[in-house]
Amino acid sequence: MISRVAESCFWLNRYVERVEVLARMLDVNLAFQLDVALPDAERWRPLVVVNGQEEDFLERTQTAAVDDPETVQDYLTWSEDNPSSIQSSLRAARENARTIRETISLEMWETLNDLWVWLGDRAARRLYDADRHDFYVHLRDRCLLFHGVAQATMLHEDPFEFMRLGTALERSALTARVLDIKYESVGRTEETEETPTGAAQWLATLRFCSGVEPFLKRDDKPLSGRAVAEFLLFDASFPRSVLHNLDRTRNFLVLVRPPTPTSVGERSYAIVCETLEALRAMTIDSVLERGLHDVLTWIVEATARIGGAIHADFFDPRPLGSAAERTTSLREEGSQQQTQSG
Amino acid sequence: MPKQANFSRIFESYRPLPGAFDECFDADGRVRSEAARVIELLEGLGRKEFRARQRLADSTFLKGGITFSVYSDDRGSERIFPFDLIPRIIPAAEWKRLRSGLEQRIRALNAFLADVYTDQRILEEKIVPRDLVLGAKGYTPQVKGILPPGGIYVHIAGIDLIRGPDGEFVMLEDNARTPSGVSYVIENRMVMKKVFPRVFAQSHVAGVEGYPIQLRQALDSVGPAPDGEGATVVLTPGPYNSAYFEHSFLARRMGVSLVEGRDLFVENDRVYAKTPLGPRRIDVIYRRIDDPFLDPEAFRKDSQLGVPGLIRAYAKGNVALANAVGNGVADDKGIYPFVPDMIRFYLSEEPILGQVPTYVCDRPDDLSYVLEHVGDLVIKAVNEAGGYGMLIGPQASRRERADFRERVRANPRNYIAQPRIELSTCPTWTHKGVGPRRVDLRPYVVTGRDTWVLPGGLTRVALVEGSYVVNSSQGGGSKDTWVIEESWR
Repeated sequence: MISRVAESCFWLNRYVERVEVLARMLDVNLAFQLDVALPDAERWRPLVVVNGQEEDFLERTQTAAVDDPETVQDYLTWSEDNPSSIQSSLRAARENARTIRETISLEMWETLNDLWVWLGDRAARRLYDADRHDFYVHLRDRCLLFHGVAQATMLHEDPFEFMRLGTALERSALTARVLDIKYESVGRTEETEETPTGAAQWLATLRFCSGVEPFLKRDDKPLSGRAVAEFLLFDASFPRSVLHNLDRTRNFLVLVRPPTPTSVGERSYAIVCETLEALRAMTIDSVLERGLHDVLTWIVEATARIGGAIHADFFDPRPLGSAAERTTSLREEGSQQQTQSG
Repeated sequence: MPKQANFSRIFESYRPLPGAFDECFDADGRVRSEAARVIELLEGLGRKEFRARQRLADSTFLKGGITFSVYSDDRGSERIFPFDLIPRIIPAAEWKRLRSGLEQRIRALNAFLADVYTDQRILEEKIVPRDLVLGAKGYTPQVKGILPPGGIYVHIAGIDLIRGPDGEFVMLEDNARTPSGVSYVIENRMVMKKVFPRVFAQSHVAGVEGYPIQLRQALDSVGPAPDGEGATVVLTPGPYNSAYFEHSFLARRMGVSLVEGRDLFVENDRVYAKTPLGPRRIDVIYRRIDDPFLDPEAFRKDSQLGVPGLIRAYAKGNVALANAVGNGVADDKGIYPFVPDMIRFYLSEEPILGQVPTYVCDRPDDLSYVLEHVGDLVIKAVNEAGGYGMLIGPQASRRERADFRERVRANPRNYIAQPRIELSTCPTWTHKGVGPRRVDLRPYVVTGRDTWVLPGGLTRVALVEGSYVVNSSQGGGSKDTWVIEESWR
């Protein structure tokens, strides 16, 4: 597999993940509006903030448009200027896929391209206007379909592992960001008794991560900010918890690294292990003591460091030493390489 | 008879163009026997259904991302290559003769290239003028003396044929560098099968899906290390190239990696790809980058697309390039008139297929004739492609003719002229119903240890009424080409 291809695999899934999560957040937020009495600004502004786009948004709209649900939704869904919008992320996902069509399966390409063509079509606009819930559900479902199609049709070797690596890392970061919305909307809370509005917001946070039912299965925990934060950070089995995904990130790194002893991927592996260790040493009490927002910021920054190390280790390798020598050792690894490149 | 009633629906008002050969109907408007069954089956659908299937075909291309990139658009937007559902039909017997003619031509062009870059016998014997060859833009002194593996230069050729009013196919143009379009042949066929399953099931059409396998075998057979140690790759200029879809398609269907220049590097005169686990040896490169951009050390210094040192590795025999470097001298439009002489010289055979009479403006007699008859001729710049750098005299304005006269006078070596051939037509769906539109044919010839010709090829059609230009960049579309097996008729 070519390094550039590995990079595209990694980013393809990160972008698909962004589309899915943003679509779900927008959809949940629409429903959430009906449950609680909050000023519009407090409902929609956090979504802009959590996507890291507040400054850009305010600059472009030049008004207090964070109060206007339509403007916010339009900006997060359609804006070509917003690099984090659904439209932009899907374009980036599809563009990455287009450059690795020989690597991904035909079915994966068709799933993604079909969604891209649909989003550019009048029918999607009409659905957005007529039934926004259905619109976001369609996007979300197609992203989920993409993962299923990949799992069922692609060779389970390096390119696939790089894709899953991208998903795991992106999920760690996105879950941390989503959890931060609660912080953004109501500030730091430590009380265990939630007001009705607070409870609704924590429920919405879980729904952003499709985590309500999984959370409820942990039946020893009543709904509280503390319990939700603990679940989203530390649950070992929940597919979107930070810990679970960092653990998977480490596992996929092990899979894509050549058999030991090797220096390939050393830096990435070291940073992931370090981060995991630090996270495992925490408890929900220590997190709340340190400040949830601080810990979440640390997580987001750690995922960025991991991403940077993966880039340096795998996507931008400098040809070092004698290429011929290294190829010999490569050849001994057997058929996996052959299948991909030859 | 219900069939009779149906017949009137699609082709009822179809009239072939006077003076041109029509691929499906004879001069009296009767269906040709080889096309009869297909026309009848299409008629059975009726107009409305036909239109619905055309829409289905278009959406299939779009959803499959079977598109070409548009250069003029900096957003890198993509369009589908317009596709017409009415197939172009070639009976097997006729195809057999075409195939022999194509194989013969490729053998001669290969021999010519091997000669030009080594002994230059054909120049010594003055069969082809020395100045013309050595002065050709595609002549590449950097590869003189380098013998590619197996002595093969033209691994992939796309040879443009047209059919004149007498119904004879003639050679119009050779493409021995990076001919494109074959992916559309295969995708067109896929779409046709989806859209007309019944019509397909009842016609005996030669398959085209074997192309990528044939190509892979040919490429692997010319590698320096036939034990499969190094990899075979397709080298593309990148996703913004207009033919990117095809590069990706061929890599996918051959099961090889698609690489860009920046993915490769040369060390100790060997070529490697950068992979996450370290360098990987590359043996064979099907490159879709033109010679001047291939290696900034050997050719254009400003090329960002190429691989520095590639030609060094090539010269050492450590990597095979398909097509070979320097092929531009063989498909030069100024060399074209001499190909029949090459066939006689190298193969001691008579050319099986004819070609278009050509005036070489470099010859004083030809030049004065051309300058006097600009209005009757098609004048072509020898190094242009895609329908550019061309004047169709009979259709040109007075100013355009004067302009071309000046250009030819200023640089005669750069131009050839040919009489305008009345290209054959094929019934084509238009918004006004089915009408005759001019077509050409580009068969693809793959050469490794053996030579293999894809049955049929790309039929390009000038969709604009009255137009002779079939290029996709200038309002051209394509059709599926059916070589119909003998047994069926």
